[in-house]
Amino acid sequence: MSSSKKIKLYIMKKLAILLILIFVSHVQGQTVINGVVLNEKKEPIVGANIYLEGTYDGGSTGANGVFSFTTTEAGTQTLLVSFLSYESFTMVGDVSYMKDIEVKLKPDVNTLDAVVLSAGTFSAGDNSKVNVLNPLDVVTTASALGDFVGALQTLPGTTTVAEDGRLFVRGGDADETQIFIDGIRVFSPYTPTTNNIPSRGRYSPFLFDGITFSTGGYSAEYGQALSSVLLLNTIDEPDQEKTDIGIMSVGGALGNTQKWEKSSISVNASYINLAPYIALFPDRNDWIKPYEMASGETVFRKKTNAGLIKLYAAFDATNFELIQEDINFEEGLRYKLNNNNLYVNGSYQGVLNSQWSIFGGGSYTRANNKQGVMDQKIYSIDNAFHAKLKLKNRVSNRFKLYMGVEFFSTDFEETYGNDLIEDLDYGYQDNMVAAFTEADIFISKNLAFKAGIRGEYSSVFKDFTLAPRLSLASKISSKSQLSLAYGNFYQNPSSNILKFTQDVKSQNTTHYILNYQYNAERRIFRAEAYYKDYNDLIKYDEEFPSFSSDFSNAGYGYAKGVDLFWRDSYSIKNFDYWLSYSFLDTERDYKNYPAQGQPNFANKHNLSVVGKYWIDKWRSQVGFAYSFASGRTYTNPNESGFLNEKTKPYNSLSLNWAYLISPQKILYASVNNALGFKNINGYQYANTPDMNGDFARRALQPAADQFFFVGFFWTISDDKKSNQLDNL
Amino acid sequence: MKHLIILSTLLFSVYLNAQTNYEKGMQKAFGLWQTNETVEASNLFERIAGAESDNWLPPYYAAQINITSSFGERDKEKLTQKLNKAQDLINDATAISKDNPEIMVLQALLHTAWVAFDGATYGMTLSPKVVELYTKAAQIDPNNPRVAYCKAEWDMGSAKYFGQDTAPFCKDMERSIELFANFKPETPFHPNWGKERAEQVLESCTK
Repeated sequence: MSSSKKIKLYIMKKLAILLILIFVSHVQGQTVINGVVLNEKKEPIVGANIYLEGTYDGGSTGANGVFSFTTTEAGTQTLLVSFLSYESFTMVGDVSYMKDIEVKLKPDVNTLDAVVLSAGTFSAGDNSKVNVLNPLDVVTTASALGDFVGALQTLPGTTTVAEDGRLFVRGGDADETQIFIDGIRVFSPYTPTTNNIPSRGRYSPFLFDGITFSTGGYSAEYGQALSSVLLLNTIDEPDQEKTDIGIMSVGGALGNTQKWEKSSISVNASYINLAPYIALFPDRNDWIKPYEMASGETVFRKKTNAGLIKLYAAFDATNFELIQEDINFEEGLRYKLNNNNLYVNGSYQGVLNSQWSIFGGGSYTRANNKQGVMDQKIYSIDNAFHAKLKLKNRVSNRFKLYMGVEFFSTDFEETYGNDLIEDLDYGYQDNMVAAFTEADIFISKNLAFKAGIRGEYSSVFKDFTLAPRLSLASKISSKSQLSLAYGNFYQNPSSNILKFTQDVKSQNTTHYILNYQYNAERRIFRAEAYYKDYNDLIKYDEEFPSFSSDFSNAGYGYAKGVDLFWRDSYSIKNFDYWLSYSFLDTERDYKNYPAQGQPNFANKHNLSVVGKYWIDKWRSQVGFAYSFASGRTYTNPNESGFLNEKTKPYNSLSLNWAYLISPQKILYASVNNALGFKNINGYQYANTPDMNGDFARRALQPAADQFFFVGFFWTISDDKKSNQLDNL
Repeated sequence: MKHLIILSTLLFSVYLNAQTNYEKGMQKAFGLWQTNETVEASNLFERIAGAESDNWLPPYYAAQINITSSFGERDKEKLTQKLNKAQDLINDATAISKDNPEIMVLQALLHTAWVAFDGATYGMTLSPKVVELYTKAAQIDPNNPRVAYCKAEWDMGSAKYFGQDTAPFCKDMERSIELFANFKPETPFHPNWGKERAEQVLESCTK
């Protein structure tokens, strides 16, 4: 045989093998895989996708849930079955055994119609399942004047304390509510103010895109709040580069956003001066130096490979001086304030692997407050620090585990002085550590639990507290669900107490909540009944706490009530409205109370109606907000008893109008208490009786019955379209 | 020598065969889509996406089917399911091909689907995102006809909403049609849609 023949033969042989190989693979291609896909109720699922992972071989189920396809693959393969809103099914095995398979898909517990752990919480966000407000509402609610706290006061569970402006939740005092930005505590969330002028949220609403307001029964992640937590999340990624200009009857604002490949920065500055407004519309205060505030905020965000870094910093400076009417001082009470506040917050959140994700962050607050009351001065500096580390383990779609540690540090110093005594320095330092762990367990799409526990140790009074939290939610129909929540909540006494004594311990409440929620197309109804049990509240034996007071944790109280909420933007075209009603029955014995009584910040009935109507033809949104609050208690020393009388009810109707001059120019006007109701927040009685033995009194009225606001907002951006409607 | 040629031809055809798996799959999926079997078409694109993990086209089309079939859907639950799925697919496609103007157009369309469903709720928050996407896509590829056409249609919609003149955007639409005329997709499977709709819109413009 010649060598050429040898080669020929060799090639022939190889060719034969090759042909056989091709043939074999062709024969193997005839494997048929078939079966049926059903749901939990054994009903067929139509349109499910069935395939061998990593191959082209697969099919879809037909009308009766049946599928069948052939494959060229052999041996062990992974069969995948997937369908919208169901958990994917995987089966590993030899293809020859994949015949007449019955696949049962389990509903995905993360879908929209699944049960949500929502007792006690109101969320405002884009696609959140428990949405009650959207971010825009915060700024288009007539009574809110662009203040996110003001908008939240139209929700049930809050009580109207018109002269204060802070959040009073379910019979709780204002300092029982804690505010968090990106999960990190804010130590001084409200702007400083004086007696008859409500304070506002310090931070501009337009840096936030998610707001969760919990009126009870919240997660073990949050502590040091007896009544409520408010969670604000800053925007992860701004939409575009732009400049915002605002010219208002009370000042001006300027904002700019810059974006790069992976990072962005937003800067905001505003200046408020009430002098011109007060010159036009004098109020009940005698202003020596009208209210002036300058503030600046900045957010920097940077995306990393597997996470997001955010830095937020805010600084503001406020000053004013005035003389207020006072029953005990004929010439009035002179008050002066100078306040600087710095807040820095940084956080990182990222994914470690398919199961674990991490969040870490910290905040630093420096609040510098200089008050002058008549001839006395009270200067204070509060340095506070909070750090948090949280891990999340997504064990499965149905079981998620959270755990974390926190550290709080407060250093408070105050100086008191007057003409008679030498300056007095005092203060306290508290370091606190906390740890929490919590699990979300979905038994099915219709039943879920959240169980957690939080431990806190405070260095001031060397006390360890342990607070369990539990909530349960059950879907009772396709549109409604029932939830239960229980929890223990601890909070250290405020700096007003701790600066005089550290020989006290943590105050606590226990919450029991029953919630019903009905969620239909752009309509939502919630009813919530609750009971709160307060224990270990601080008591002292003098009118104001001081070094000579006797302090104890002997205070106690309760709060129970029902909250109702209805929102509908569906029934009437272009009209969106909501109704909130809260019934509250609460009494407590704390602070300087001689007996148990209904505190003056807690009234029985609160009603709020908010409506917004978009008029296409006028390119305008008109809105109103009406609130009614039943009378608040006060003590009339001319009668026997404590907190023995009530003021007349509070009424207010606010109107607003936003007009789009062009897509980027908005004219906005609003008037608070348009009908000019003469509201009375309480009474101040003279310290000493007159000749007839009667204590004279003075009605505590707001500085002004009405407030007018006019603003012009202009946005400059590439798209020439976005505007500041969401700023108003 | 003859056998060698046969052999190499054979081997080549085996190789070709491996190649056309993708082509066959894509062709079949487009066929299903054309006959309105959208679920099957989307399923098949998803399967191809699973097998071709570095090709952005299969997840792109699977997403497109879910987005286009969601327009007109009034049931929020179904809409959310479809659009969330489309968003996942777009994320997959973006992970394979970054800064791709075609995918940006699709992302803008997804946002538009939300705005079309409920303008009052989603308009204010998503509109700037849509505009940003079109602006960025146009910067990357100024001659992409779909970027030009979709942007023009969006601008016209907004102008109508604000009661402004849509005429300037008709010019943009005209320009997009010129771009369509000169557009050559990279492969037969690369995006090449939109011309008919652009012509329709332009027709309504000139009336």
